Amino acid sequence: MSDIALEVDDIKTYIYSNRRCNKAIDGVSFSIRRGKTLCIVGESGCGKSITASSIMQLLPALSRIEGGSITYHSDAGEIRIDKLPRNGARMRAIRGSEIAMIFQDPMTALNPVYTVGFQIAENLKYHTKMTARAIRDRCVALLRHMGIPLPEQRVREYPHSLSGGMRQRAMIAMAMACNPKILIADEPTTALDVTIQAQIFELMNRLKAEHGTAILLITHDMGVVAELADDVAVMYMGKIVEAGTVDDILRRPRHPYTRALLSSIPVLGRGKNQSIRPIRGSTPDPYNRPPGCQFAPRCDFATEACQRMPDETFVAPTHRVLCWNHDRVAASG
Amino acid sequence: MGTFILRRILILIPMLVAISFLIYLGLELTPGDAVSHMIPPDVANTLSAEDLEALREQLGLNQPFLLRFWIWLTNVLQGNFGHSLEAGVAIKDIFLDRLPATLELSGFAILFSTIIGCFLGTISALRRGSATDNSLTVVGMLGVSIPEFFFGLVALSFFALHLEWLPVGGRLMPGYDSFWDRAPHLVLPVLVLSLMMTAGVMRYSRAAMLDALSREYIRTARAKGLPGWRVNLLHGLRTALTPVVVLIGFRLPALIGGSVIIELVFQWPGLGNEFIAAVRGQDYPLVMMIALFSVLAMLLASLIIDVLTALIDPRVRLE
Ligand SMILES: Nc1ncnc2c1ncn2[C@@H]1O[C@H](COP(=O)(O)OP(=O)(O)O)[C@@H](O)[C@H]1O
Ligand SMILES: [Mg+2]
Repeated sequence: MSDIALEVDDIKTYIYSNRRCNKAIDGVSFSIRRGKTLCIVGESGCGKSITASSIMQLLPALSRIEGGSITYHSDAGEIRIDKLPRNGARMRAIRGSEIAMIFQDPMTALNPVYTVGFQIAENLKYHTKMTARAIRDRCVALLRHMGIPLPEQRVREYPHSLSGGMRQRAMIAMAMACNPKILIADEPTTALDVTIQAQIFELMNRLKAEHGTAILLITHDMGVVAELADDVAVMYMGKIVEAGTVDDILRRPRHPYTRALLSSIPVLGRGKNQSIRPIRGSTPDPYNRPPGCQFAPRCDFATEACQRMPDETFVAPTHRVLCWNHDRVAASG
Repeated sequence: MGTFILRRILILIPMLVAISFLIYLGLELTPGDAVSHMIPPDVANTLSAEDLEALREQLGLNQPFLLRFWIWLTNVLQGNFGHSLEAGVAIKDIFLDRLPATLELSGFAILFSTIIGCFLGTISALRRGSATDNSLTVVGMLGVSIPEFFFGLVALSFFALHLEWLPVGGRLMPGYDSFWDRAPHLVLPVLVLSLMMTAGVMRYSRAAMLDALSREYIRTARAKGLPGWRVNLLHGLRTALTPVVVLIGFRLPALIGGSVIIELVFQWPGLGNEFIAAVRGQDYPLVMMIALFSVLAMLLASLIIDVLTALIDPRVRLE
């Protein structure tokens, strides 16, 4: 069995509105390794959530996967997710059971009119053959496992009586209910404060180690990447501009955008006097994209060549970059 | 939940006192002798002036205002609503006679319009932008904008006068008083009243459903791999019900008080018709009691709304 849990190859997802086409994802490739965390990082609007929705087949109504493939390596063999009907029984059997997802805001992601226990139990009811009694016990056990105090009591409570951090733990309990092979977390801590954030990450790391769950973590925060990632994919305007192991990306960034992202946040351990520079300009209008490299208008290294889309270059076996000038970027230190 | 309901009921008591005070004030200010509606008018006519004065003393009508109010209130609480000036009968008997007719008409109308309205609104929201949705939206718009008397008259002239399928109006024929005897009389008014209400419920539940379906917990439910019906009904419709319950609840008092226009068009012998007759005949005691009754219905409806929304949405119970 390969160590790859999910493989995304040159996927293109377009969103249509008012007769216009937003190429939200335009040729994205990556793979998620078993028991590892892949971080997708990039500014808001670059297509991170649409990437996750493509894998879950939970896309907005007027959108379509126009090309490429998404292959899920299940225990029973490979499944081409992009070929499955969106709401068919096979896709539903994968969702929540083999690939589970948690969302940004635990305040709104849980249904306010049902108890926490009910919402976890729903998952088990549809994906397992457990008895009602076993499901009830499992709900309590899951909450306890996620570090929620008084789980017997919490299981009967409504989301509004839990704090933000507890709700996100309950969301994770819900996602982990069927021991999924892959956990997709779309900015799971953006809505939480920093100490809670650290606790949630600790929990996710523990789950990864204990259950061998592959994690796809979406974030706009390089600090999060440094803490959690095994692999990193940097995304800009619907393309992955640079991907590699966490060392490749944090220590040897070869794309100007990656470097810009890195220098726009303080990094732990680099001391007090690091210069923090926001990226100049702003992301282009998705309906009015620059030709060629999407980052060129904001890039310090841009040249004539950047009017054409660069080819993907492997600078190391695990490290690829989408830039004409990556050598100059590397040389500039 | 028990304490929640109890608290809501306790809140009602001061409101009830205040409202009945206003109603009594109205009664006192109306022209005519107060004694005339405390006793049957034909009895009053046979009494001499001294007897009338003695009666006034006996009924407490010479007491100070607040005490008179108190006497009146205890009377009302015991079911003694006074007498109608016009018909000369106890108002209580008028209520006992008319209320069942009104409740029958409104009960069916609420039942049908709620079920059909929620059903169509949900379908409309789930098929948003489809031909079904668009035609339902147009029908709904017509439904809320055509006045009900017009619709009632059209239905009457077509089904009753033209096709002669159904009776023109009324409720009971002498000697025929089982439910099945009245059913034909019930069809048209219930149909017209339900249709008007269905349109509103449908538009409302469509909007509420669309709002619910755009929430993030719907995405969570889908991400769990739940089947579509469960996502749409258990997670969508369930949360969309709160505003719909409020809408229907606010209609309750008007319906319990009698849907005046429908009752008039179909000669339905309910409270609404009685109210019109009382206003025309300047039968103040009766008008006031029907008004008091409508207010009671309103308060009762708001209590029902509160309890139902608390049952549907656990967050409401907290406040
Ligand atoms: N539901 C939607 N309808 C239309 N366009 C959308 C929708 N969701 C996202 N998009 C568009 O897709 C692109 C990528 O968005 P998204 O994946 O949400 O970005 P992010 O990286 O912040 O998660 C953006 O241009 C956004 O405008
Ligand atoms: Mg996003």
